[in-house]
Amino acid sequence: MATTTATITLSSADLLSDNMSLSATMNLYKDGTTATGLEQLNYHRAIIPTGTNFDLIQDSAALSEDASYVYICLKNTDVTDYVKISINSEEIGRLYAGDWLFMPWDNDLTDTEAATDPSGNDSSIEIQAYTHDATIEYMLFHSGETLLTAADS
Amino acid sequence: MATTTATITIASSDIADNAISVSNTATLYTAGTDTGITETTGLGRKKFASNSNIVLLDGGLTSGIAADVTADKSAKVYLKNMNDRGDGTKYVNILLAAVEIGRLYGGDWMFIPWCAASGKDIEFTASDTTETTLEYTCFYE
Repeated sequence: MATTTATITLSSADLLSDNMSLSATMNLYKDGTTATGLEQLNYHRAIIPTGTNFDLIQDSAALSEDASYVYICLKNTDVTDYVKISINSEEIGRLYAGDWLFMPWDNDLTDTEAATDPSGNDSSIEIQAYTHDATIEYMLFHSGETLLTAADS
Repeated sequence: MATTTATITIASSDIADNAISVSNTATLYTAGTDTGITETTGLGRKKFASNSNIVLLDGGLTSGIAADVTADKSAKVYLKNMNDRGDGTKYVNILLAAVEIGRLYGGDWMFIPWCAASGKDIEFTASDTTETTLEYTCFYE
C-alpha cells in the first residue's frame, strides 16, 4: 500500500474581524479499510480548447461504489479565464485562474455511453473552458480502472 | 477587499517510484477579477443520525444560510466529515442536486467551486444512521 496525504489550509487575516486559519489533513485510503492506502494514480496536464464540453476523467465500472479522489487546478493566469466543472449535466462550479478543487468521486450512475463514444449520460467529470484555452493539471487517485481490450489484439 | 487563500498539498513518498508533492495556493477572488471575496457563511457544524437525504446548502433560495450566494460566480465550499474513520465502511455521500459526487469517509474533506444556481443544492446522505458530524463553510460573493 501507499501512504498519500492531502492537506488543506484556509486562511485570511482580514475576511473576518479576527484571523481565520483552518487546516485539515486526510489520508487517501481504500474503501472498506481502516488504513490501506490507494495505490494507483493518474496525473495529467492538458490544454482544453474553448467551446466544447469535454469528458476530462472518464468513468469506469471498476471505479463504481468506491473511494476515488480528484484534484484539478486551472493554471491560467488571466483572471477572466475559467472552466466549468460538471458531472452528469450538473455544473458543480467554476474554477477561475489559479483555482483548484479536491473532491471525492464515485461512479454511481447508470452508464449509458459506449466505451468509444462518450456522448451518453454518465458520471464522467466534464470540463468546458471559457474566455481562453485552459491549461489544467489534474490527478485521480483510485483503486483500479476498467482497462479496454486493445482492438487490434 | 479581503485576502483569503486556500492551499493544498498532496504528498506521497511511495505511491510512485519517486516521491510526489503537489502544492498550490488559490487566492479566492470574485468572478473574473482580482478582488478578494468578502463574504462567508462562517464555519458551520452539523450533527445528524439519519441516512435520509439532507440539504446542506440550498442553492437559489431567498432565505437561509446560502441565500446570499450569487449563482454562477466563484463561490467555494469546504466540507469535512469529522467522524473517525472506523472500519472504513461508513461514509457520507455528497450530492449536487440529485447527482452523487462522491463519498467522504471519516476524516475526509473536500473543497470545490459551487455554482449555487436554483436547485443546485449541496446535499448529503449518510451510509447508515450512525451519528455523523460535518463541518463546512462557503466563501462567496
